[in-house]
Amino acid sequence: MTHTVGNDGAEAAVRAPTPSLPTPTPELRRSSRSRGWVIVRGVLLRIGGGLFVLWAAATLTFFGLRLIPGDPAQAILGGPGSQASAEALAQVRADYGLDQPIWVQYIAQLGRLATGDLGTSYSLRSPVAEVIGAQIGGTLLLAALALIVAWAIALGLAVWSTRGGRIAAAVGSTLEIVAAAVPHFWLATVLVLVFSTALRWFPAVSTAGPEGLVLPVLTLALPLAGFLGQVMRESVLDALSAPFVLSARARGESENGVRWRHVLRHGSLPGIALSGWAFGFLVSGAVVVETIFARPGLGRTLLNAVQLRDVPLVVGVVLVVALGYVIMTVATDAASRLADPRLRRQGVAL
Amino acid sequence: MTATTAILLAGCAGASPATTESTPVAGGTLTYATGFGEPTCLDPHVGGNMPQALLGTNVLESLFSQDADGAIVPWLATAGTPSADGLSWDITLRDDVTFTDGTPFDAEAVKANVEHMKDPATASSTAILALGKVADVEVVDPTTARFVLSEPDSALLESLAQTWLAMESPAGLTRSQEENCEAPIGTGPFTVESWTKQDNVTLVRNESYNSSPTGAAHEGTAYLDKIVWRFIPDPATRFAALQAGQVDVIDEMQPDNVVTATSSEDLAVLQGALPGASIRLELNSGYAPFDDERVRKAFIASADVNPGIESLFFGTVERSYSVLSTSTPYGASYEDDFAIDVDKANTLLDEAGWTTRDADGYRTKDGQRLTVDFPISTNQSIPAEQSLFEQIQATTKEVGFDVQLHPLDLSSWYASLAAWDFGVTSAIYTKNSADVLRILYDSANIQPAPSGYHPNHSHVDIPELDELLTKAGQTTDADERAAAYADAQKILSDGAYVLPLYDHLQKIGYRTSVQGLSLLPTLQLPYLADAWVQ
Repeated sequence: MTHTVGNDGAEAAVRAPTPSLPTPTPELRRSSRSRGWVIVRGVLLRIGGGLFVLWAAATLTFFGLRLIPGDPAQAILGGPGSQASAEALAQVRADYGLDQPIWVQYIAQLGRLATGDLGTSYSLRSPVAEVIGAQIGGTLLLAALALIVAWAIALGLAVWSTRGGRIAAAVGSTLEIVAAAVPHFWLATVLVLVFSTALRWFPAVSTAGPEGLVLPVLTLALPLAGFLGQVMRESVLDALSAPFVLSARARGESENGVRWRHVLRHGSLPGIALSGWAFGFLVSGAVVVETIFARPGLGRTLLNAVQLRDVPLVVGVVLVVALGYVIMTVATDAASRLADPRLRRQGVAL
Repeated sequence: MTATTAILLAGCAGASPATTESTPVAGGTLTYATGFGEPTCLDPHVGGNMPQALLGTNVLESLFSQDADGAIVPWLATAGTPSADGLSWDITLRDDVTFTDGTPFDAEAVKANVEHMKDPATASSTAILALGKVADVEVVDPTTARFVLSEPDSALLESLAQTWLAMESPAGLTRSQEENCEAPIGTGPFTVESWTKQDNVTLVRNESYNSSPTGAAHEGTAYLDKIVWRFIPDPATRFAALQAGQVDVIDEMQPDNVVTATSSEDLAVLQGALPGASIRLELNSGYAPFDDERVRKAFIASADVNPGIESLFFGTVERSYSVLSTSTPYGASYEDDFAIDVDKANTLLDEAGWTTRDADGYRTKDGQRLTVDFPISTNQSIPAEQSLFEQIQATTKEVGFDVQLHPLDLSSWYASLAAWDFGVTSAIYTKNSADVLRILYDSANIQPAPSGYHPNHSHVDIPELDELLTKAGQTTDADERAAAYADAQKILSDGAYVLPLYDHLQKIGYRTSVQGLSLLPTLQLPYLADAWVQ
């Protein structure tokens, strides 16, 4: 169970034989030079895979945005109660190259991206890199705090519900399912009504201080904790019945020692593997949370940009998120290896 | 009914300064949370939409203003006089006003502003349209600017009163567009100090302010030190922030929040009808099925909206029978044309050949179902309004209409209007003049702009109506203008092109610690120079 979850798609890609690369002979495989080559090949494959993900994300976003209804030029100038003149539209089309055939626009965009130039936002009229640079901090802070809080809740719940008997198990698993099923917008509204309007404990919208972070972080963390808790509790239960727990107990290890030193390490493996996915979950959640709690950030930038058909900005944000996802996948893979010695041994065999 | 009256009265009372009991105190910060969205550029010459006008009203000022009855009153200009042929207007200016960068306000500045608005590089859409008949501005002397027109324009001074045509420092306009968008320089009671994107714009008091508009409660500098202008898109969060005292003033209140605020000691509501067109359904008369007048009349006779308006809006809006907003002069109501009569609707549809019904109860003709596509802009229609459209769908179904509601984001909605891919829709048009009728119903505006946008969504093409609207737009005789607008609205009403619903209300919620808040009549936007916090 843990084994399969630990080996995510990226790892499978590393192991898959690639026709374009020479297959080392068994003799070479044993030499240290071949081991170096294997590592280099692994790194190259990862970089190649990452680049492919980025290219695919940029391409899908570009065509996706241009195929849905809506004229970017009109959207740049439009809005309720205003109406674009012929001159203004012609000017905008020429300025932004929107009068070119779509393939020319796509190639031009790709060319710019290849040189690291994210272009200029249609709607904000400033460089996309600058916009993202100004907004990314808020989202990363929100996502990181939510991930930590979700982990804490999930671990606590997993430990408590596996040791508290049948009722605790039932309560724990119900809480996890409910939390995982709750949509962000609903949870946000309920949290505002309870903790801001009724109890006045926390502000409803962002503030300069940390108190404004409480409700947005909880909104993001609770559903995630539900997901993490579900997989962790299952693998904690698996571990509790595993022979190594029996031998630890036989060595005279205390119950807490067994749980924190052995069982949780085992139980956290699927959680670690899920954290890469969790990053995507948190970023999509940030779109809702930043809008409802009026927080500056990439999620809100993305929503506005999609509504305005601001292609460069949407592509830029999507690329940054995709890059984050690639990095998180590599990081969780490494973290899985640290937590699970079996994966380290397989790494050597590779 | 009593509750309804009370709320509406509270709304009316709000049009004048909210409270006059205590003595104003200078100082303090006011936090304003807007739901209209964050402008992409703070200079309202660029593009030109409601978020820009809202913020711009605190920083920039116009040549003219309007009083509560919509009559033109002086502001940065002292008077406007047309030539005998109506082809030029001499606008005389105040000689004691300076922009906040120290540049004097004079005729050269007016000329520079008009040129900036008309320059294609500015990418103006609202201002350039309002200046459509202005060919040139001549500087007669430092305090006289002569507007030379290509044809007479009775709405010129009204156009110039809008914030989208506000006066900015010519020195500021020579900066790059990026710089001018970040912090336009005007003559207003506040100046832009900083703009943190997606968070807030901070405004600080203009210490040398001397150009209060007519009707202001006091002359001279504003009371507030500072305004923090926040962007809170979610209406429930915005109201929660107001209730918790995190913000002092909010706009775009939902009807249920208006009721809650009215019954709260800490909160109050200021309401005003946005000028221009009322919120209304436009029936697309250019295409089937609404190209048949009988089908349009059957729709209007079966779309029973009054119960929905009463229940969904909790008595916070009043049914309108006019295409024009109550805050716009020359509006006419023909209530009898909008009576609900199911029998009449059925007869009309029978006459129009929609005689058979399919298994679902919808009328058919030659195997075609009587389908009416209704694209809804979720940016413009609040949830209560969308529910009202569902009720229209239900009541028109009884006589056999199949109304298909399509909630769309702004860009998709524009695209479906541009393609004439709708039977009925609801669009907002804010303009402080009855000339909005010409924009919405002159046959020239069926022709799409290169963008595909055509303001005449009803596809009204009646030469007699065009003539009346042109005449009303050119005459300087007030009686003639009134008669032409009344006749024009009667034609629209007789032909069943439009179903008026209610005024587009500006609903401002504020904490009662805020005093002196009012709406500037021109566009019914909050005016904060008279406001102070206790």
